[in-house]
Amino acid sequence: MFKFKLPDLGEGIHEGEILKWYVQEGEAIAEDAPLVDVETDKAAVTIPSPKAGKVVRLGGPVGDTIEVGAIIAVIDDGTEEATQAEASAPVPDQAPPSPEPEDPVPATPTAPAVAPAAAEAGLVRVGPVPAAPAVRRRARELGIDLHQVPGSGPAGRVSNEDLERFAAGGASPAATPAGPAISPAGIPFFQLDPLPDFASQGPVEREPVRSIRRKVARKMVTSMVVVPHVALMDDVDVTDLEEFRQQRKAASAADEAGARLSLLPFVVKAVTECLVEFPMFNASLDPQREEIITKHFYNIGFAADTPRGLLVPVVHDADSKSIAEISAEITRLALGARAGTLAPAEMQGGTFTITNVGPIAGTRLIPTINYPEVAIIGMGRAEQKVVVRDGEIAIRTILPLTLTFDHRIADGADAARFIRRLGELLSSPLTWLLER
Amino acid sequence: MPAKQTYKFSIPHLRILDQDGKVNKKLDPGLSDEVLITLYRRMVLAREADQRMLRLQRQGRLGTFSPSTGQEAAACGPALAMEESDWLVPAFRELGALLMRGVPLHRVLLFWGGFEEGNIFPGVERTLPIAVIVASQIPHAAGVAYTMKYRREPSAVLCFFGDGATSEGDFHEGLNFASVWKAPVVFICQNNQWAISTPLERQMNSETVAQKAVAYGIPGIRVDGNDPLAMYAATHEALERARAGEGPTLIEALTYRLMMHTTADDPSKYRSDEEVQAWKDRDPLRRMRRLLDSRKLWSDTEEEALLAQVKVQIDGEVKIYEQGVRAKPDVLFDHVWAERYPEIEEQRAAFLARQQGGETHG
Repeated sequence: MFKFKLPDLGEGIHEGEILKWYVQEGEAIAEDAPLVDVETDKAAVTIPSPKAGKVVRLGGPVGDTIEVGAIIAVIDDGTEEATQAEASAPVPDQAPPSPEPEDPVPATPTAPAVAPAAAEAGLVRVGPVPAAPAVRRRARELGIDLHQVPGSGPAGRVSNEDLERFAAGGASPAATPAGPAISPAGIPFFQLDPLPDFASQGPVEREPVRSIRRKVARKMVTSMVVVPHVALMDDVDVTDLEEFRQQRKAASAADEAGARLSLLPFVVKAVTECLVEFPMFNASLDPQREEIITKHFYNIGFAADTPRGLLVPVVHDADSKSIAEISAEITRLALGARAGTLAPAEMQGGTFTITNVGPIAGTRLIPTINYPEVAIIGMGRAEQKVVVRDGEIAIRTILPLTLTFDHRIADGADAARFIRRLGELLSSPLTWLLER
Repeated sequence: MPAKQTYKFSIPHLRILDQDGKVNKKLDPGLSDEVLITLYRRMVLAREADQRMLRLQRQGRLGTFSPSTGQEAAACGPALAMEESDWLVPAFRELGALLMRGVPLHRVLLFWGGFEEGNIFPGVERTLPIAVIVASQIPHAAGVAYTMKYRREPSAVLCFFGDGATSEGDFHEGLNFASVWKAPVVFICQNNQWAISTPLERQMNSETVAQKAVAYGIPGIRVDGNDPLAMYAATHEALERARAGEGPTLIEALTYRLMMHTTADDPSKYRSDEEVQAWKDRDPLRRMRRLLDSRKLWSDTEEEALLAQVKVQIDGEVKIYEQGVRAKPDVLFDHVWAERYPEIEEQRAAFLARQQGGETHG
């Protein structure tokens, strides 16, 4: 019994379609007599029988696609078993399935600030599009701009199939791992080139960008592309505040909330007071209508480092809450963020954000604005520093602050006044109390 | 523009045996009956072997190869004109010439089966391996020929290539070198009209391939490539000239590839059935058979006997191929140089080590 497996009829053929059988099951066939016509990607060919004998089984009806390596016919040539040691069914020569994006992402989730028309059209390519001359001619005939056509080939090359699919209004195929060079329309010199083949440089691992990571990525790219960022830095002397804070911590060691009393609630409260005073930092810009939206509510978000990634819980109506209340709420929200139990509402509606990486490390940082807010405060590490006070050398506790703001809405002088006021409040808590 | 004719050229065309099997008596090279019969038998062997290889490939028993059916006269006629001491530098569609040199068919099967051993022709001297890389063998042939001259050996080189090869730089380098150094080499272009799917007229702008010889100051001749007698005569004369120190010749053999470029090609996508049929009518085997018939040298009985004998011969060679030599994977390191060198041996060791390590992940 000879099991005849479909050979690779061309070079690198994976499958073929059965066009015609020259014999029926049960009929005899001579060696080299025509057995079957098979059409592959490259050619339609007649396959002669490799053995003389009785055809016991045919690999499938006409029209069936058969994979290279699968049995196309079983011929009883008088031998016991197939000459090749393959009692079990052969493993077809399979190509791994092309990866499908599990959760397709709209091309421009938050890009309307650039150019609304281009945003509607999605990401399009600039510069020459790789395509064969025949494809270019076909595109001209169809009146299609090749820049609009997603290319499935290397470096985004557009094939005839891509073109026909596009012309038919079909969906684009799954993007190749090293995708095409892309650019939001209208930004000269801005181009994302395909990545180099890192795997050829050393061992790599690939994992999809999902969930929180993807949200962070989208938000940060949007913010950086859309918002003209300016960062202003200042050092605030928090020696008195720190002294008070340490006393409170010691006094209420048993008290959970007191034990967790950090600098952050003070900064939240002080920022809120500054926002009331400088409303352009508690606003958003409507790029479509070219209007500034000033918010008369003060919801302060703070960056929380969680096992799932970066979350920004929001302390709502911070202007109507005491520092103690804010502190308790921050503790509750931070715990909820780490446990993953926060309600969506507890992470929405922010008007301003504070990020405090100081306790981990870092003298200062330049944070990226949490779009569509106007500004963000980054807190560096508060530590004792040698400073000059009234002509004398003194040791003071210094908190480095960075205010990053949207220069479309606020100017440098506004920011300077904002951060000066913030510094006054945090460095002189008793004066702050007097003013209240 | 003031100009006067300073140079004119004409290209001779040679045909001796016409399509009805009639010989031009004035040009008859006068081969003996015995030789004519042998030539025919070899052409039939080449044809049958070629068709068998095609079936083997379709059955998954042979790799991609380039069928030579229809070009037997252009391969066998020149081979007949060779001395044993001459060199054969083939391209990849001269099965008949290889068989006439005495290369066992199973070696050719090994080559197209992907085995390095197919590059070795035991017992056959002065026959280079099949050259798949288009035109790469032309400078080799010029070099070998120059060596013959340098060593004062009265031997010549016969180099085959296709029409597509004449568009490669190697062709021009090889011809120029051979011409400048009067190297004893005969260049035979098997002009089979198609460079894969590119027709001749889209591949070159010259009327003929043969006229390219004019540029290199060597004789060029166009020959009916399906006429084995003309191919023999033209090659014989060119080889004599080469051995006499008169330098190279370019022979354009006008022929036709009746089958696909390689088994991975489907010619029906680029050429018409009518064109193929017209060339089938000029089949070199039929022409040769008519000659033998007219001289009462052949009969249907002898034809049948020949086919039966050829089948047995081919069966035997296929058996040797399928059961005989199996590749040592490192054999490709054996013949990089005539002698073994430490650098190559290091690479061999690394290759073998990787082979062993690679088995676990297929």
